[in-house]
Parts: sequence; structure tokens; C-alpha cells
Amino acid sequence: MLSRFSDVLQTAADVLAPPATRLEDFEYHWKMVVNFYQNYEESSKVHFEDTRVPHHLHQMLQLIVDEEKEQQGGTVGPCLEAVIQRSVGVLDALSLLVSVDRPPGARYSALTLATSLLRRTRSPCLNSPHVYRPLQRMLLICNESPASPTEKEEVELLLTLCGLVRKEPGLANIFTTPFVEDTASLMMIPEDIKTLIPIKSKAQTPKKNPLFEVDMAPNPLKTVSIVRVNKDDNYVQSSSSAGDDNVSSKSHKTVYDDNDKFLLIDLLLSYLDSADNQVVLRACEGVLIVSSLAEDDIAALVTGCSPACERLAARLQRRYRALPPDLDPAAVDQLSITWAYVAQDFGDKNYNNFYGYRELTAFFSWLDYIDTLMKECHPIIACHLSRAFRTQFLEPAAEELAEPRSAILATAVLAKCLRVLDSQDLVNEFSSWLAGEGEGGAGEWGPLRALALRCLRGDHDLTLETLRFFEAVIEKGTEHSIDRLVLSRVCARAYRAAGPALQDERERLNDLSLARERERARESLATDERAGGLLAHADDNIHRVVNSFLLLLPRGVQSQPLADCEHYVHDAQRHYQLWLDITSTYNWPTEVTCADTASSTHSYDSRPEADLHLDDAFAPVHAHCEPKPSRGACGGAGGCAFTQALVLRSRDAPTTSEEEFDAGPFLKMLFKLLSTMPDQPYQVNLHLTSIISKLALLPHPNLHEYLLNPDLPTAKTTPTLFKTLQEVARRLTMEVPRIKNYKKVIENTRLQLMSEDPSYDEIGSHNQLVESLIVLEEFCKELAAIAFVKHQHQLQQQPHQHQR
Amino acid sequence: MAYAYLFKYIIIGDTGVGKSCLLLQFTDKRFQPVHDLTIGVEFGARMITIDGKQIKLQIWDTAGQEAFRSITRSYYRGAAGALLVYDITRRDTFNHLTTWLEDARQHSNSNMVIMLIGNKSDLESRREVKKEEGEAFAREHGLVFMETSAKTAANVEEAFINTAKEIYEKIQEGVFDINNEANGIKIGPQHSNAGAGGAGGAGAGGAPPGGCC
Ligand SMILES: Nc1nc2c(ncn2[C@@H]2O[C@H](COP(=O)(O)OP(=O)(O)OP(=O)(O)O)[C@@H](O)[C@H]2O)c(=O)[nH]1
Ligand SMILES: [Mg+2]
Repeated sequence: MLSRFSDVLQTAADVLAPPATRLEDFEYHWKMVVNFYQNYEESSKVHFEDTRVPHHLHQMLQLIVDEEKEQQGGTVGPCLEAVIQRSVGVLDALSLLVSVDRPPGARYSALTLATSLLRRTRSPCLNSPHVYRPLQRMLLICNESPASPTEKEEVELLLTLCGLVRKEPGLANIFTTPFVEDTASLMMIPEDIKTLIPIKSKAQTPKKNPLFEVDMAPNPLKTVSIVRVNKDDNYVQSSSSAGDDNVSSKSHKTVYDDNDKFLLIDLLLSYLDSADNQVVLRACEGVLIVSSLAEDDIAALVTGCSPACERLAARLQRRYRALPPDLDPAAVDQLSITWAYVAQDFGDKNYNNFYGYRELTAFFSWLDYIDTLMKECHPIIACHLSRAFRTQFLEPAAEELAEPRSAILATAVLAKCLRVLDSQDLVNEFSSWLAGEGEGGAGEWGPLRALALRCLRGDHDLTLETLRFFEAVIEKGTEHSIDRLVLSRVCARAYRAAGPALQDERERLNDLSLARERERARESLATDERAGGLLAHADDNIHRVVNSFLLLLPRGVQSQPLADCEHYVHDAQRHYQLWLDITSTYNWPTEVTCADTASSTHSYDSRPEADLHLDDAFAPVHAHCEPKPSRGACGGAGGCAFTQALVLRSRDAPTTSEEEFDAGPFLKMLFKLLSTMPDQPYQVNLHLTSIISKLALLPHPNLHEYLLNPDLPTAKTTPTLFKTLQEVARRLTMEVPRIKNYKKVIENTRLQLMSEDPSYDEIGSHNQLVESLIVLEEFCKELAAIAFVKHQHQLQQQPHQHQR
Repeated sequence: MAYAYLFKYIIIGDTGVGKSCLLLQFTDKRFQPVHDLTIGVEFGARMITIDGKQIKLQIWDTAGQEAFRSITRSYYRGAAGALLVYDITRRDTFNHLTTWLEDARQHSNSNMVIMLIGNKSDLESRREVKKEEGEAFAREHGLVFMETSAKTAANVEEAFINTAKEIYEKIQEGVFDINNEANGIKIGPQHSNAGAGGAGGAGAGGAPPGGCC
């Protein structure tokens, strides 16, 4: 009451006397605050907001904001100067209010006032010790009592400080060891303020704060700057009053000892475990702001003096472990989560919509945060964080992958992780973890080998999920993982057999039945509009490839003998272009090579004939020579033809390599599963064939030759795609016609599968045999389309390739 | 509180153009004369009705200061609508629109509806950007345009609601895949049949993994 009255008096006085200066106003309001506390009865129940104190403090804030508008050239106005000189110890007073919270509610207001001061002024002179020390004190005091009701306001102040550091990176120094005192002395409220605001309760005896155990150098304010700031800091001059305490001196120190701390990050980390998602969000934003600063020294502080990266990655692991083990793996795929989403949506009960949703979103939103951070942060931090991602999350996750009880879910979750990751560093880390890095030995393959092997154990659910995982690996296509999975196996071209096998091949060509088959193929081409009409201009060789696939199954058992594969051609075109883009930076050969001949006894490359006739079978797809298409030039068995030409010129083929071709665990697994298609569920076969067609699309000449050349001369023991398909086709051709009324059954099954009715899969009785027949039939069309599209692309790229 | 759809919006543009004020005016119907710098994202929400359907707008107000671009960018994803705001009394905020637009197009989904807003229309005397210029920019870049005042509330409702209408139309036209939450649209609880425990399962185009037989 009294204070209000004096306010009125003041106003009255203003009318009579010359208007008070801003500083006088400022000092007046400060006096009113002090007055209040001098007369404050601690037993009083009155709430802070019901006193005049907030009014006076807000006036003081407003005066600082107003004077800044009139200040020129970044000079400091008298009110702020009074704070910097500490003739008005208002910030220390605020830190006391944070500590004692008297009257109740004072802590909340003190925190928001401090935040407002920093947010509403353009240069709040944070580099002055009388500004930053009280602010640090507030945060440290708050940190003593985690999960306090003012958490939101605390972290808001902290984020604001991060924002200021972001704008003036030199300010990071005030949060590093030489500038922050030990807990006890920093948290000590100055005696003069205690006299002005004599509140006896809650005498602050600082506990040992683990955040902040620093063995102090004798002079806490020595002018050592850990963070070098390159640009000239004009703000330094702007506050002459900061004097020697100025923290942005140019000297620097880049070696840290164990006691070095980066208080800003440590404080941020302490809010990550809050139960309030909004608080966590702010802390995340703070970490993002600080980590994305361009200064090397700050990045080095984050990685060297704080456990930030490790904590962030460990949190991912914790959330991963928190996933309920009986979560439906199908639910994983549907999610689309961004990191800030959790803060907003967890209040929405509607979205707590299935079992495990909360845990799942918590995990994926955190993954998204790390992914975002990786993309924005300083390279030093990125490097550290991706390593932590691997050691703290991926490597422990491998245990779950192997654990039978959790294998399916873990596989689904990790596949989804790989799909959603956008940071190339993390994708690379993922792939080197997955596929291993070393040379030789069983460990060489990383978890990949175990994943490949378990697809052969006959557990269809697990196989399916694992195949989906492999699909993700290929789709995400890092050079490393694709190399590990397949290319390392084919790069030596060891799949090609010589001598005897070629003999067989020649015999095969002379074989009458084969001749008949080819005759039939030619006939069918007459009506071959079904290949999308696109074969019209193609040459003989591509005809043969396409027909080898299209005629793999006898018409008698084909469900749709007259269907066209136009849409497969369209899809293949689209996907092939995508792959060309993705792999354009890869170090892939453009022609069939025998690179890395360690396992091969010959170097095919060196043969001139080979160069001329064979190795250009899959011509450079990236070379930019004469892009004008000129199909006529490619009519014959010329350079741009597919590898069928090989067979006819195979006299000078290489001599047999003694070593057997080793397709590696992944390709072996694919071929093995392919050969057992009739015994597997539709979904497994669908994903299996989809993986193989993705591989067939890759613009790698050796892989192309290995997968898509039906006439490739190989040793008997060497598995190839075409041989395996023939085997399956043979089995189906024998077994399917034994089914009663099999034509009708084929037709019905096809209709059901194409209807994509989800309930179909729930029906118990399936004719797996016929389903696999249909998958095979479609797969063959797809392969034919892929071969065709790649061939066509080559024609357009390399019209005169054979004349090289 | 049940709604048919939920749309995620973002508000972007230079610092001080009035993004936070627009949000406050829309959600709380009041005006805040001081500039409280936004650093992290601020959320707002309000229910509106379009075509007789309840639609919840979930609005993400971002920081305009250059220093905070790295966080701002990370919020673009998964937004169905964006209010791109400039200040008609500050030409530089208009000049920066191209940068904002590029940033937004790069980091958000291609179907996102963008509403261009020239704010502070109450300050006619200090106008630096003609209304026609705003219109021309919007036309050139395929945006919807409006001048507003967060102070007087002129056109504020319209700006938010018209954006929602555009999104709604796109849904009707089938442009937005509403089943993909990455598009910034969610179907309300009474529309989706995902009851408790009924996770996934009826995914489009096929069976749940886990197989049959
Ligand atoms: N006259 C007038 N002033 C406005 C209007 N909208 C905002 N302002 C003022 O402009 C200033 C900035 O407004 P904010 O909404 O905080 O700006 P912002 O775009 O959120 O800025 P950042 O958070 O820094 O990105 C404040 O002082 C507002 O009072 C308006 O329509 N008319
Ligand atoms: Mg704002």
C-alpha cells in the first residue's frame, strides 16, 4: 500500500519538478524493491505477484529496453551501465530471489525477468561479470533441485544464453573453466545484497554439484580465452566498463585438462532427462545451437570437455531398450516422426493410439534429433557423435538382433532407422558397422553374415523381416555396403568359367532342343508387343536376354501368357535413373573388369580381344560421349550388345581359375531362398525378388553381367541367377500341373494376389506353390524389363561405342 | 476436442516481422507490443471449422534471426502449410523472401501450401512495400497472398483459415496423401479406425509382414 502511495507521490512530483532522468527512475524503482524487502515479513503468505515488486522490476527492465533504442553506436545507456558497474545490484538480487523464492513466486518471476532482459535488448552486455555471474548463479542454484516447478523458465533462460553465444561466439568463454568459479563461490550471494534483501530462510549452503566440480585456478578471472574469435568483436569496446574482466581476449588455450568444463553444455544436458517434453525440446534446441557454431574451439569443448555426444547416443540406446518386446513390427513401418513432434503431440491423447506407440515415437524422435544434429553440427562434433552413435547404440543393438526373442522387432526397428536416417555420416556409420570394415576373417562381414545366414533357418517371419532389412540396406545404397554385400564378390569376375564350361556352352548351343527353344523364342517375338512393343528396335542379343527370361516358364503354366511388361519397363526406367544419380559419385568401373585379381589367376583386362569384344558388353554408362542416340549403328553383335556375344567368341577365353567362385553369404542366401521359392510364403518371395531386381538394376558392369546374362559361361558349381531360376521353373513346371484343375487355380490365385486385398493374407489356406509360380512369372518380366532398359540406356549413351 | 483433421503449420520470415504476434492474435486474440525474440520453436493450436468439419491447426512459430536458422530449418519437415511473413514497413524483409522460399521448398514437402503475408498493414504511413509488389511476388511463385495486421487483427483469421482451406481442397483432390504423416496432416481419432491394439495391419497395398500360412 505504502509503495503504491509513494508511486503516486512520485508521479505528482514529476508534474512539478523537471522530469526525472531515466537513471533516476531506474534507481527509484530499485529503491522501492529494496524497501519492500527491508519491511518484508517472511511469515507473510502474500504471493509475489500480489506485491509491487514485479511492477518495479518490470519498470526497470522497460527502462533498459527504452534507453537502448536511443543509444547510438552500440554504447551502453546509464541504466544498463549501473547494472554493469553494480551500483544497482538488481541481477544479484534476482539471483537471490531465485534462491529463496520469497515471496512465493519470486523465483519464477526472477527467471522470466532475466530472460526478458536478454531477449528484449540487443546487447545486454553479457560479457560483463556483473551480468553473467548472477545469471550463472541462478542456473546453478536451479540445478541443485532438479525437476523443480520452474524447469521451463530455467531452460528458457539457458536457451536464451545459448542464443547470445550463438550471436557472439566469444561469449562461450564465460562458460568455460577459467571464467567460472567453483560452485561454492559462484553460488554465494554477495553479502551486500543479503543486507539489502535480508531473507533468513533457506540459507544457501551449496551442495556439491557434480556438474561443476572444478579445481580452481587461483584467479578465476584471468584473461584466458579458450574460444578464439576471429572476427573483431566490436561489442568488446562497447562495454568499456567490463574492463579487465573482459572475456574475449585474444589469447587462447586449446589444450584441456580433465577439470575443464563447458558449463553451458553441461547445464543443457541436465535438462534432457526432464519429464516435461517441452523442457527437453528447449534443451535439445540449446545443444543444436551450441553445436552448430562454426568455431573449432567450441566444438572441441563440446567433444573434449563434456560427455554430450555420449549422453545423446546413450539416450538413444535407452529408448531403444525401452521398446516393449511384444510390439507389433508392422507398426514400426508406419511411423513418421520428427524430433520436436514429441513435445507437441504427447499432450494429445488421441495419438496414444496403439500399444507401444509412446515408446516407439520416443525412440524415433530421438533418432531424428540426432540425425538433425548431425546435419547441422560442427564437423568435429559430427565425427564424435557418429562414433558414439555406433558404440553406444548400434553395437549394443546387435545383441538384440541376435537374441531370438527380440530378433524380429530389432530387425524391423533397425531397418526403419536406416530408412529414416538422412545424415550421410550416420548412414555410412551404419553401413560400416553392419558390413564390417576389416579384410578377411569371419568378422570381416560384421553383423551382415549372421543376418544372411539366419534367412536360411526356415523361420519365415524372421526371414521376411531380415529381407526387408536388406532391402533398406540396398535402397540406402552406400558404396561401402553394396560393395560388401555383392560387389566384392564379383569384381574379380571369378564367376566366369573357362575351358570345360565353355565347351559345355558350345555344345549347348548346338543342342537341337535348344535350337528349337530359340526358334520358338523368335516366333514369339513376332507377336512380341507384350514386351511393351519396345523390342521392335532391339538387336538380336537383347532379344535373346529378354526371351530367356520371358520364356523361362512354359506358356502352359504361365498365368498371363499374353500380358505385357510395359509397366515393368517404366518402373525400371525410373529406378535405373535414380541409381545412376546415386552412384554417379561412386568409384565404380564403367566396363566389365577383373579388378582386384587376388582370387583370380588371370587378368582378363589385358587381352586386346577381350577389350574389344567382351568387356564393352556393358559399356560406360556415365561417360558423356556422343549422347545422340543412333540405334542403327548398333545393329549387329557390336560393342553395345549384351554379353551374349561372348559365347560365340569364347575360343580365346581365359583358362580356368583353380579357385572356386565364392558368391559370399549374401548372394548365396539369395540364390538359396530363390531355389526354395515354392516352399516359402508369398511375402518372403516378394521381398526376395524385389531385392534381386534392385541388385540387377545397379549400374555396375560385373554385377550386371553376373546377374543378367543368361548365357554366361560358368563352372558347374558356380551359382547364377539364371541357373537358379531355371531350376525353380523346372520344379514348378513339374509340380503345378499335378494340381487338379491347375489352370483355374493359377487364374484364381493370380486374381487374388493382384486384388491386393489385405484380408487375403489372413486366410489360412494358400497355395504357396502356385503363388510362387506367379511371383516367378512376374519376376521374370521384371528382369527382362531391367535388362532391356539398361540396354536401351546404353544405346543412347554410346551409339558408336564399338568403334572406340 | 475431437477433430476430423489436424494440420501442421509453420510460420517463417525475418525477425521482427510479427510472426509471434500473428500467432498470438490468432490463438489468444490479443496483441503484444514488445518484441520478445523467439529462439526455439513456439507452439500454438486452435480449432477451426471448414466444410462443417472440425480441423485442428497445430502451429509452429519459428525464429527469424539468421543465427537460429539451423534450428528453424529443422522444423520445416512435415508441415502442411506455411505462413511466409514480411513486414510492409521494412523493405529488407520483403527482399529476403526468395531466400526463405528456397529454404522452405528445400526442407519441406513439395505439396506444402504457402501463404505470403505482408504484416503490419496498420502502419500505412510507414509502408515501404506496395501491396501490388506482394501480389506480384505471390503470383510469380504460386503463393496465396494477404496483408494483415497482428495489431488490429485485420485479416489474421482469414490468413490462417484460407491456408487451411487450400490444404483441405488439396486433400479432396487427392494431392495430399493423408495416410502419410510426413505430409503434416493427421486424421482425427473418429476417422481412423486404428483402435487400441489395432496397430498397422491394414497397411496399404498388402499384408502385414509376419506372413500367412
Ligand atoms: N504496428 C504493428 N506492430 C506489429 C505488428 N505485428 C507485430 N508488431 C510488432 O513487431 C515486433 C515484432 O513482433 P514479433 O511477433 O515478436 O516478431 P517475430 O516475427 O516473431 O520475430 P522473431 O521471433 O525474432 O523471429 C513487436 O514489437 C510487435 O509488437 C502489426 O501488425 N502492427
Ligand atoms: Mg517470434
